[in-house]
Amino acid sequence: MLPGVVGTIQATETVKLLLGIGEPLIGRLLTYDALGMRFREVRLRRDPKCPLCGTSPTIRDLAIHRNGAGAACEASPDGHREATAAGVTPKAGG
Amino acid sequence: MKTLKEMLAEARQVVPEEGPAEVAKRLEAGDKLVIIDVRDPDEYRDGHLEAASNISRGFLEFRVGAAVSDPSTPIVLYCQTGLRSMLAAKALKDLGYSTVINLQGGYQKWVQSGLPTVREVPLTADQIQRYSRHFLLPQVGDKGQRKLLRSKVLLIGAGGLGSPTALYLAAAGVGTLGLMDGDTVDITNLQRQVLHTTADIGKPKVESGTRTLRALNPDVNVIPLPTRITVDNVMDVIRDYDLVVDGSDNFETRYLVNDACFLAGKTNVHGSIFQFEGMATVFAPGQGPCYRCLYPTPPPPGLVPS
Repeated sequence: MLPGVVGTIQATETVKLLLGIGEPLIGRLLTYDALGMRFREVRLRRDPKCPLCGTSPTIRDLAIHRNGAGAACEASPDGHREATAAGVTPKAGG
Repeated sequence: MKTLKEMLAEARQVVPEEGPAEVAKRLEAGDKLVIIDVRDPDEYRDGHLEAASNISRGFLEFRVGAAVSDPSTPIVLYCQTGLRSMLAAKALKDLGYSTVINLQGGYQKWVQSGLPTVREVPLTADQIQRYSRHFLLPQVGDKGQRKLLRSKVLLIGAGGLGSPTALYLAAAGVGTLGLMDGDTVDITNLQRQVLHTTADIGKPKVESGTRTLRALNPDVNVIPLPTRITVDNVMDVIRDYDLVVDGSDNFETRYLVNDACFLAGKTNVHGSIFQFEGMATVFAPGQGPCYRCLYPTPPPPGLVPS
């Protein structure tokens, strides 16, 4: 049931973005805890040191992905970690 | 009595004009403009600015209030060549709308400038009924529904997240849905992946997904993409879509989709789950952070089981 909640949020956001209505989840991470039945919102900011979208990006094409998953994922060892700091660990499942 | 020429000259005294390029630039920059096409409905149907609503000249004074609640909102009016809308703009000024702009040269010049237009495809009787609840929502309406029908969304993953997303987007009448997944249906998927049925076990997920979505809404053009997304195909695939929904189940794909969407300027609607927890956000290039801002590095192996 949990994926139904998250997938439906994704569908809602998609329709809002396509129609240009409401406030999309840009710069906001919405987390859902099914057992506690709580939603939480974490503000996200752009990381100026982000290797992709920061001020001096080092990733300018997808070449990094040709070297396997490890290299692709470890481009930035020192960026800030707002979400992790806020206690939101990344989720692997889909 | 005034001549037409005198009336137009009088209107030009109080109504500023902006050319197609200027108006297009303001729309691109996200300026809050209300664009009204004052031509007759049949002219509007043949092609109009995407952002425009149609209030024909004869009804303008009666219906403008419903379209523009704040009289200080900037309004751009246009007709075919810019004359009817000039007189219409003067009428709105007289009604107290403070910022009314006439699109110089009208729709004709807009088209000649090579700027994008949309053509109204008439909705069928079935569509009018199917989407009738959307028409009742002022934020969607007939115009929004047509926009959804023209939209193209790529769904990466037809699993736990992709299933509900695809079902609701198809039901809502998003016109083109690309469904990308290289897996086949396994019995262990069925407890949560609601696009697929018991009879689909062993079949490609995009096959059962496509069948389910087409059965739900035949309006939707479902494009089955029975392959895993890779560094070699990602750019070619996402190019054709307005927006990408990431419902993948591994970090490698997340970083790949994130990077490709950013480089291609596509918005990425992200979702992920683990056990009893989930999260969702939107990565919009240039407007907010990306997945790498959020998680510069993946969690160490073993910390987050997939």
